[in-house]
Amino acid sequence: MDGDQGGLSGRFAARALFPGGLWLLVFFAAPFVLVVAVSFGTPAELGGANYGWYPENYSRVFDPLFLPVLARSVGYALATVVLCLLLGYPVAYYIARFGGRRKQVLIALVVLPFFVNYLIRTYAWVALLSDEGVINGLLGESIRFLNTPWAVILGLVYGYLAFMILPVYAALDRMDPALIEAGKDLYGSEWRTFVHVTWPTTFQGVLAGSVLVFLPAVGDFVAAQLLGGPETYMVGNLIQQQFFGAEDWPFGAALTTLMMAFLLVWMVLYLRSAAKAVQTA
Amino acid sequence: MKTLRAYTVAFYVFMFAPLVVVALFSFNSSRSVQNFEGFSLEWYRQFFESESLRGSLVASLQIAFVTMLVATVLGTMLAFGLVRARTKWSSSANVLMLVPLVTPEIVAGVSAFLLFTQIGLQLSLFTIILAHITFSISYVTVVVRARLASLNPEVEQAAMDLGASRIQTLRLVVLPALWPAILAAGLLVFALSFDDFVLSYFTTGESPQPLPVRIWSAIRFGVTPTINAIGTLMLVISLAAVAAALVLQRERKAT
Repeated sequence: MDGDQGGLSGRFAARALFPGGLWLLVFFAAPFVLVVAVSFGTPAELGGANYGWYPENYSRVFDPLFLPVLARSVGYALATVVLCLLLGYPVAYYIARFGGRRKQVLIALVVLPFFVNYLIRTYAWVALLSDEGVINGLLGESIRFLNTPWAVILGLVYGYLAFMILPVYAALDRMDPALIEAGKDLYGSEWRTFVHVTWPTTFQGVLAGSVLVFLPAVGDFVAAQLLGGPETYMVGNLIQQQFFGAEDWPFGAALTTLMMAFLLVWMVLYLRSAAKAVQTA
Repeated sequence: MKTLRAYTVAFYVFMFAPLVVVALFSFNSSRSVQNFEGFSLEWYRQFFESESLRGSLVASLQIAFVTMLVATVLGTMLAFGLVRARTKWSSSANVLMLVPLVTPEIVAGVSAFLLFTQIGLQLSLFTIILAHITFSISYVTVVVRARLASLNPEVEQAAMDLGASRIQTLRLVVLPALWPAILAAGLLVFALSFDDFVLSYFTTGESPQPLPVRIWSAIRFGVTPTINAIGTLMLVISLAAVAAALVLQRERKAT
């Protein structure tokens, strides 16, 4: 049907794209250009930036002072992805296969904690794990949990677990239960059925979940600040410091630009693989 | 199967126990965040007696409310355009709409901060609202688009054949069918904006600051029952908004 005969489609609808599209261009796309421009500048006094051509901001990123921070960020984010998968897959599996009529409620209960402020959720772990915290109180001991890499990774896992569970659940829920029955007939054991049937069928969901967890985790600075210390700082903390404290905006902008580029590579790779999966399906 | 079930129960305990602990100690009669010594509303009283904290609560609510209104209008229009228009711009607009959803918050925060400071806009509640709207539009579009795609355009055509104008058709046919989705999206955006820390942190002025920014400054001085009380208040407000959105979404499926 052709909307230009006077319907609501076609040119009339195209006009509806305009306000939101313009807003996103001005407030979302244009600032990216600004970030890149500032990343080649030099710091002005009292914050701010003088524009120029100083690619040195980028070579500084590979300074032995900062390189461990970048490696740590990627390491923590990868550990978070793996732990989210190990912890989340069984839950998604249980809800999809055995949730029955309570499926919707069980999934809502997975989502609900994620709408509690992220700061409060991280703070909750500070209250639990600190030297005079609830867990040490219950144990009657004074074990040092905070300021360790594990505390930071725990905070990240707790923060982003739902992003793994939801896509994996969606993939499992779409799967025909008859496939599992057929798998059992073919392979026998539960485990072999899982390896040969369930896992390959839901792999795209796992991949989507991994990307969704990795992206926010690698840029996070709240968990490392609250649950860790200077020796667990991630690239997010480094960026935040450049704008609030060190007042080196160009270096902060260079770190932000590199992070965007790095994440973009992963997103493109993921989208390619997803597109391929759709084609072969 | 039994172990899987036990594991899932343990998982829910892991998810909810920390939040229950925060809420519990907000009612503690003593300053301790380790031993519960008795019920009291002392920390809530202190919160509401502090003029600056009350100001922060009001600021957070204002930000969330304005963000909700503007983002809902822009996002709904964008959804309508994306579903019904077939122009050469459609796919670019679609990408532009989706990228904010996967942009890490810190990248969003830095770019908003640089935009406002470079064009010389004083950081204030206004800049926070601008930033929040930018990253809320896409959520509305995704939720409303799903509903819009399931509507039959022939019904609109029929209304127009019967003499309704475009505006009348929008108002009397399209909008009523979209209402539950629009409301759900609005509530979702309200909760997201009310809870947001990173964007607010990068775009906030000196005073009043929204609640999450105040919590951030307070946490550095350690765990106190007042933070527990603020956290519990925020938790109740955002969970109420999300629960309402979920109920609306369920009703949508039921009809």
